[in-house]
Amino acid sequence: MHEAPNTLSDYRKQINEALQDDFLRKTLDTFAVAYRANRETIFKEVDEQGLIKQIADARDAACKRLEELYTQFKAEAEKRGVIVHRAATAEDANNIIARIARDNNVKRVVKSKSMTAEETHLNDRLFADNLIVDETDLGEWIIQLRHEGPSHMVMPAIHLSRYQVADDFTKATGVKQDSDIQRLVKVARVQLRRKFIAADMGISGCNFAIAENGTITTVTNEGNARMVTTLPRVHVALVGLDKLTPTVDEALTALLVLPRNATAQRLTTYVSWMCGAGECSINKDNKKILHVVFLDNGRTEIAKDPLFSQIFRCVRCGACSNVCPVYRLVGGHKMGYIYIGAIGLILTYFYHGKDRARVLCQNCVGCEACKNVCAGGIDLPRLIREIRSRVNDEQGGETVPALLGAVMSNRKLFHTLLKFAKYAQKPFTGRDVQFQRHLPAIFLGKHDFKALPAIAAKSFRDRWPEIAPQVSSPKFRVALFSGCAQDFIYPEQLEACVKLLGSKNVAVDFPMTQSCCGLPLDMMGQRKAGIDVAKQNVQAFSNGKYDAIITLCASCASFLKHSYPHLLEKESSLQYAVKDFSEKITDFSSFVHDKLNVTADDFNNNGEKVTYHAACHICRGLGVKEAPRELVASAATYVPCEEEETCCGFGGTYSAKFPEISAQLLENKLANINATGAARVVVDCPGCIMQIRGGAEKRKLPFKVTHIAELLAENLKR
Amino acid sequence: MSPADTNRELVEIFTAKATAVNSVVQEVPSLEAALQYVVDVCESKLPAEILADEPDAEQGPPGPNNMPTRVKRIVAAPDLPENEFSSLAQLCAAKGFACVRDGLRKHLAGIDVGVSCADFAVAASGTCSVNTDCEQTRLAGMISEVSVIFLHKSKIYPDLPSIAQLLRQRMGESPATFTTFISGPSRTADIERVAAVGVHGPLEQHIILLED
Repeated sequence: MHEAPNTLSDYRKQINEALQDDFLRKTLDTFAVAYRANRETIFKEVDEQGLIKQIADARDAACKRLEELYTQFKAEAEKRGVIVHRAATAEDANNIIARIARDNNVKRVVKSKSMTAEETHLNDRLFADNLIVDETDLGEWIIQLRHEGPSHMVMPAIHLSRYQVADDFTKATGVKQDSDIQRLVKVARVQLRRKFIAADMGISGCNFAIAENGTITTVTNEGNARMVTTLPRVHVALVGLDKLTPTVDEALTALLVLPRNATAQRLTTYVSWMCGAGECSINKDNKKILHVVFLDNGRTEIAKDPLFSQIFRCVRCGACSNVCPVYRLVGGHKMGYIYIGAIGLILTYFYHGKDRARVLCQNCVGCEACKNVCAGGIDLPRLIREIRSRVNDEQGGETVPALLGAVMSNRKLFHTLLKFAKYAQKPFTGRDVQFQRHLPAIFLGKHDFKALPAIAAKSFRDRWPEIAPQVSSPKFRVALFSGCAQDFIYPEQLEACVKLLGSKNVAVDFPMTQSCCGLPLDMMGQRKAGIDVAKQNVQAFSNGKYDAIITLCASCASFLKHSYPHLLEKESSLQYAVKDFSEKITDFSSFVHDKLNVTADDFNNNGEKVTYHAACHICRGLGVKEAPRELVASAATYVPCEEEETCCGFGGTYSAKFPEISAQLLENKLANINATGAARVVVDCPGCIMQIRGGAEKRKLPFKVTHIAELLAENLKR
Repeated sequence: MSPADTNRELVEIFTAKATAVNSVVQEVPSLEAALQYVVDVCESKLPAEILADEPDAEQGPPGPNNMPTRVKRIVAAPDLPENEFSSLAQLCAAKGFACVRDGLRKHLAGIDVGVSCADFAVAASGTCSVNTDCEQTRLAGMISEVSVIFLHKSKIYPDLPSIAQLLRQRMGESPATFTTFISGPSRTADIERVAAVGVHGPLEQHIILLED
């Protein structure tokens, strides 16, 4: 069993080891690509968004009635001969199960897959009582033989090769085993059948605990749960309280999504619905001894939390791992403790404590891929940021982010420091761009996998008085939200935007008291400073009667639009202004495409081959997909790129915290861009530009990296 | 659309989706043909391997997993009505197969064919719902190398939401305790995500579609 990392440097060492595991890398790469395609196909048959909404609503409602559902379940199950227990802690649950084993003179136990039993470390407790315990899910059995924890919630042994499994089976059987997968599966068939037959007690998990008739449900492909619940004379189901649901209807709805999301199946091979102690011919009264042990372990508290209660929507499908670009690189052992992936980072905090979560919860690049596929529509990236903030509040964070927070909540000090940094830096010149350190990560660690940009000689805010367009009787009145990167590093991107807007008869304003959007602060768990800058920004824009507030940074846009209302929910005097502000936030491409309705007629298309990188926060954060691609196609020859919507690895401060992962994500992105043969890649986000341009510069790759605004402004007809 | 057309369409969808998850779907004109199908399947398959100790079983040469095989093949059909079971037993006897409806705990090491009857089915996922309250029925579907499910065509419903009330009623029958949805043979992809069937339960899943 692996341990959760204690320090960031330990964690980075572990991550480096994982990055060197060629088998793991290849397996997870193949899986990520295949999963994406298979999932898309299998979801075409159902209303994905409608079902996710239904699951979320049903889970939220159940969460509010947890005690009532528990009471109802208990009454119904007891009517049907089931003994129901409730354990306050993991230790209590383990003790209850150990006692059931003792009372029933149990020697051998077989288990079907249960993440809840992993959560409580049940096996260790049973071993302590000298019980023989065998996992029977093939993947779980393999990792049990290796004394490892699962590396995926649905495919626990996905990190292992057939050769490793053959070695383990050779040891387990004392007979040399072939590495042919079909043969290995049959070795398990033979070995595990004997264990099923010999067992006195079966332990299962439970996917849905249905209150209306006291039913527990298991969902499996292998059929091992059927064996575990049928062959031994005693059956114990260990069930998280969050699995309680009122009726069979919600379970059936969830079954439309769970297998599709987990493994791109319409339904798993077996779903067992057990409502009561059934026939068992080896017991004297011909009845199964059936115990259901409900585990609390913090769940009743989570259920009351207005924000975190949404984690009860999790159906344990593992999709958040399947699409996570970080999981894809480092695997589950480095992306969670017991629970894996985005949900794992969150559940570790609640079920296994803040010490185990403190370092792990930093490892989210914030790309929102998980949020986009979650069966319960959980806002996973936001909850992970929230955990960081709680960890910081509870035990004091690292010094550097706190310092950065203090500096950034004072705009004038922050901006003065930025301007001063241009004198302090020692720039070297790239082909046509200056590279040096970047901000706000100027305060953070070093990276050498990409060239870093220099602070511009003159910031956008200093250029503004000269370039503000003069427009008479404007079609629209807009304000620009520049974000730090474009204001101080890439002012030319904003200038391109201003040029285009001016030519289309749009009046542009640039409120000078605007500051950093606050996302870097939130990524580092600096909540208070984040709220301060958010307030400054809302106030900076509150006096203009703008048709839209345009930003060229997708990350800023997504944060301003979706996170400000949460961040400022306690600022009662600002509520109207916040709503107005966030509603008006519009990304550059959407404004130009949807409001200005520009077409190919507006551009001198010189046939330049241009590909596109969809920034995480434009394609998922804002759901903007068509507008930028159509704009590229109207000003150039658009060539699509493989994995266009996969994260480039920037993630703001993430790339400073986890440079090795960031570098590898960038490597993959550059290879895909290069393979298109395009002369240029355009992006809607200066963070991605910093990352991709820095990588391309370092490797001397033959393509330009620019903001989409620059492509459009360059090709604009006069 | 007429009810007959609707059912025809559901049968088609069910067949396609069940086949997609490795079930073998066969329409038969009569119950006699269904019973004959069971015997034919049993006759054409390799004899069941005996995966664990079963002292009374006569052992034949090793099978594909190097386990001894059954000399006397076993067909189990615990939930067939009395008269249908008798007919099947006669057909089996003629071939020298044992045909049983109980005592399956003696044969947990593996039997040849297990027959069970679906209460209803879901077209969209090729799923059969089987009443497995009876321990023998449950075992027949688990320890057999080939599982055969009889399904009346009129019992096919479009999707999971459309069987919610049926499932609720089914679980409300006293003393209902165990209902099983089955969509294909036992499968796994736990080693390198390579699909493999027959990890614990049946190696093959057959579904016989019966007229009403």
